[in-house]
Amino acid sequence: MAEEKKKHKKRRTATEAAASIGPMVKEFISGTLRAKEEGRKVAFTFIVCLYDEILRAMDILPVWTENFAGICGAKRDAERFLERSESLGLSRSLCTYALCGIGFDQWREELGEMPPDAPWGGQVRPDMMLSSGQILCDPRNKWYQASQLYMPDVPVYNIDLPYPLYEDDVEFTDVRDYYVKHIIEELRGLVAFLEKQTGTKMDYDRLSETVDLGERTWNLIWETYDLRRAVPTPMGTGDAMNTMVPMCFMMGTQEAYDFFLGLNKELKEKVARKEGVVEDEKYRLLWGGGLPSWFALSDFNYFNSKGAVFPAETTYRMIESMYQIYMPDTNDPIERLAWRWFGYWVFWHNKARKRPGSHPDVEWLIQYIEDYKIDGIVMHEAFSCRTWHLGLIWQLNQLAKIYKPIPVLVLGKDGKKEKTNRELPSLVLESDIIDITTYSEVDTRNRIDAFIETLESVAKSKVH
Amino acid sequence: MTKVVIMGEEIMSSVIGPTGPEQRRLANNVMKEALNRAGLPFKSISYVVATGYGRINVPFADKQITEITCHARGVASFFPDARTIIDIGGQDSKGIKINNGRPIDFVMNDKCAAGSGRFLEIIADTLGIKIEEMGELALQSKNPAVISNICTIFAEQEVVDKLAEGIPLKNLVAGILESLANRVSRMVKRLKIEREVILTGGVAKNAGMVQALSDKLGYPVSVPPEPLLTGAVGATLLGKEIAQKAKERDESPERKERSLKEIEIL
Amino acid sequence: MNEKNSDIFSRIESYYSDYGQRAKELKNEGKKIIGYVCSFIPLEIITAAGCVPFRMRGDIHEPITKGNINLETIACPFYRSCFDLSVKGRYDFLDGSIVAHACDSMARTYAVWKYTLDLPYSHFVNLPHTLSKSSMEFFNEELNTFRKSLGGFAGKEISDDDLAEAIGLYNENRDKVKALYELRKPDPPIISGTELTKILTVGASLPVAEANQLFDEVLEELGKRKESPLKKVRRIMIDGACVDNIELVKLIEDLGGNVVIDTLCNGTRDNLPHTDIGGDPVSALADRYLNKINCPRTYRENKEQDLHKDLESRFGDIGFYAREFKADGAILYVYKYCDPFGFEVPARKAYFDSIKLPLLYLEDEYSAGTIGQLKTRIQAFLEMLG
Ligand code: SF4
Ligand code: SF4
Repeated sequence: MAEEKKKHKKRRTATEAAASIGPMVKEFISGTLRAKEEGRKVAFTFIVCLYDEILRAMDILPVWTENFAGICGAKRDAERFLERSESLGLSRSLCTYALCGIGFDQWREELGEMPPDAPWGGQVRPDMMLSSGQILCDPRNKWYQASQLYMPDVPVYNIDLPYPLYEDDVEFTDVRDYYVKHIIEELRGLVAFLEKQTGTKMDYDRLSETVDLGERTWNLIWETYDLRRAVPTPMGTGDAMNTMVPMCFMMGTQEAYDFFLGLNKELKEKVARKEGVVEDEKYRLLWGGGLPSWFALSDFNYFNSKGAVFPAETTYRMIESMYQIYMPDTNDPIERLAWRWFGYWVFWHNKARKRPGSHPDVEWLIQYIEDYKIDGIVMHEAFSCRTWHLGLIWQLNQLAKIYKPIPVLVLGKDGKKEKTNRELPSLVLESDIIDITTYSEVDTRNRIDAFIETLESVAKSKVH
Repeated sequence: MTKVVIMGEEIMSSVIGPTGPEQRRLANNVMKEALNRAGLPFKSISYVVATGYGRINVPFADKQITEITCHARGVASFFPDARTIIDIGGQDSKGIKINNGRPIDFVMNDKCAAGSGRFLEIIADTLGIKIEEMGELALQSKNPAVISNICTIFAEQEVVDKLAEGIPLKNLVAGILESLANRVSRMVKRLKIEREVILTGGVAKNAGMVQALSDKLGYPVSVPPEPLLTGAVGATLLGKEIAQKAKERDESPERKERSLKEIEIL
Repeated sequence: MNEKNSDIFSRIESYYSDYGQRAKELKNEGKKIIGYVCSFIPLEIITAAGCVPFRMRGDIHEPITKGNINLETIACPFYRSCFDLSVKGRYDFLDGSIVAHACDSMARTYAVWKYTLDLPYSHFVNLPHTLSKSSMEFFNEELNTFRKSLGGFAGKEISDDDLAEAIGLYNENRDKVKALYELRKPDPPIISGTELTKILTVGASLPVAEANQLFDEVLEELGKRKESPLKKVRRIMIDGACVDNIELVKLIEDLGGNVVIDTLCNGTRDNLPHTDIGGDPVSALADRYLNKINCPRTYRENKEQDLHKDLESRFGDIGFYAREFKADGAILYVYKYCDPFGFEVPARKAYFDSIKLPLLYLEDEYSAGTIGQLKTRIQAFLEMLG
């Protein structure tokens, strides 16, 4: 019982900015409930669609359905909604965010009011649902269609947001024109749909302003996160799982920009004071992939307690430096959004081409390993989301094959010690984003302990 | 467990045989015992229906019918108003929706021990108590422990940890029954449960479990007098129908070559 | 390929059990063999390039082992089986493989597939999800990219005439499959589901011209069947993704049902829709693969905001086939971890309900180990149908 309580205590963050996120998220949820009452339009939608600015410019309030499910998970109150989805015939092997959301929505529709004790007041009934059939995630293509079975009067609008995969014989520049053209058309289709739903025309000057603000925010985040290169690092992935909130849910708002200004200032001060996440920083780890288990974020603190910190992560790094993304000379905000989307997803292609055996996903890891002086990699395999979790093991294997940065001595054939290089140690945790029944704290911490021991012995055998 | 029911106008004898994989091929022995008790020779049996997992291992059966259909029939003979059956057996659990004694929909879990009576056996073993004691113990608890792991192996570990933490045995046992009730009702809910709900299978003898399931569903579930035998009773009733129908047509029912031997396979 | 007709079924048996034997021969003759898994691969382009498309199969009897080294177990088990067999060398004769943007299990593992198998050629065909005008234009371009890329590998510029010829061959192929399906309409059907599954599976392992000839021979042989070898029992439909091992169909038939129709990838979904002829071949292909293949991975808009019409537009073909082939009951068979089908289970159930066709929904792994579990369920379902 004492154990239970301990878990629910507020998690300690390294930065004050990260600690301020809780109320912000709460405000989202109650904000959408209020907006609905005031007759403003609310739309279900997904993060990582990069059209946030369009919604902001049209005063449509986004309801991030992944976020609500994540909150249910973090509050350890997702199970009843997951079960409801199962009873509708949906398999537990599917994205548990979607199951949680569909289960909740179906329940709300059945009751005609919020389900009992709904987390933070519950998820509002939307005016529309904006799917996104990108090349990223099937649930984004199917989830709202499935929800519509329980709210048939709520329209769904689905757009395509493709990007090319990495090929040997086709460069992204070969296909760029028709990809971008299609994305632009799809975004224009979205705008037309939203205009119809709201009965107001898009104000393109305003959209230009939000897109501008969005781009400036991208650069600001990039600069801010870059400060984490410092030794000791002032902020870890545990905090980044909080600061992803303004990045992924508030892009195109002044609030998000201001938030990162604040974080930037805080990190600079910490760096100047040499104040790290932990007092005695021993191991710098890269969170190399996988969404976190929202109910077990305290595992990051457990890492910290062993002197391990995470200066960088690839998860929720939904920004790049805009200076490095190709942008043609255009003032059309829709076009800018399309080019930004495309540029983000092909960001690592050119680099990968230069290293034999590399791949954009692997190249990304290598860059961060070098930039952030990384000693080991941790990934999380969440069973229910194929989007972010397929290919992780392969990435580690491929990385180990082509990138061996640690000089060590081994016993050669003639019995003499030889200098050679080895790959970075890595750890793959297994659980889920919100399905707590897949998680075992004992097992997870045993694995972490064993990993820390590996890091220790690698550090010892390292030759300088 | 192998069960045999012999029926004439009514049940003439019933036997519940021993458990274990070795016993599966010894259906003939249980049959002999049942015949003994009824005082009948084998040749006086006009029709034999085999059901359940072992239905293919009964060489002297005339027909094999799944436990789904047999349960529906058996339960309806005790509870004409039954609409939903929840059966928790040693190796599986299932939910059956019925109408007029016939199944109209069903769900099954035969993939994982955690949703079956086996789960209770394993945990009872871990706790060093008899499985029969679990019901009574659980009913004494006012504060069931929360068992969060679904997988049997993890749950076993969790129970051990919690015991070490000093959580009283009765609360643990109540928690275990609750978690099984959760799992089973989670599955059965896929059927859109209608009342009246009947619980069968070995677990139905466990008063704590009946309570836990009733709590979970929000209304009482009923238990037949011999919850282990409903499937077998259903099989005899179906067999009887087949034999009677043939008789009406003045034929003898289609039968298999039979002998009361143990089977060769396995 | 010119033995006697009477041998045709033993030849099919041999092609089925030693899957890929003909592809191996062709490889030795210098042909380039291109593997694929999903119905969204434009085979016409592969054939027009002078290569031989080869549908890779999984094997439910082969436990997935080596494949797990690079591919997570949270991917679709069917796709994992295909990958596992490839890693184990079962498809060593392949010169290349094409992956389509069908589902997450495919799209998100393209790199795993490409780097691990390390074939001389690989390509990813990026299908759009939506059916807008812009999507069609995009897909057109994407097919042209593929055409150019494969042409580069095959050392041949693929002309419109090449494409038109290949389209003709495939349309012929679809006519013959249609003729085979016609034999399922009588009660009892002239051909069992098990036989047909084998025939179609084998067909997908051959060059299309050879498959056409094989189907002709089968049709001729079946034409001689005056009486059906089957009993008159319940007529079953199977709905789902790819069922390329006969075990499921055979199990249903052994338990006393006739499988008479399907809406499966390797059945009507892929094998019946034609490609329009006369116009631009690439646009015609884009139209066939995106519009005519009805798969849950493609988003069909609920235009009129009407639930019933939406179900009809998404699943109408199920009802159409069920009526045409007089199905008494249906089995919805979905693999664990399959997102496109998985999310549609409630809607599909609702549709089956609306057409009053009794339904058994099965979620399965891709493994012979679950046959026992399926058996009880299917038998109980058949008992329910009476
Ligand atoms: S599958 Fe993954 S990426 Fe897609 S909605 Fe679910 S958690 Fe998000
Ligand atoms: S069965 Fe589903 S998940 Fe598997 S390959 Fe087909 S569409 Fe993808």
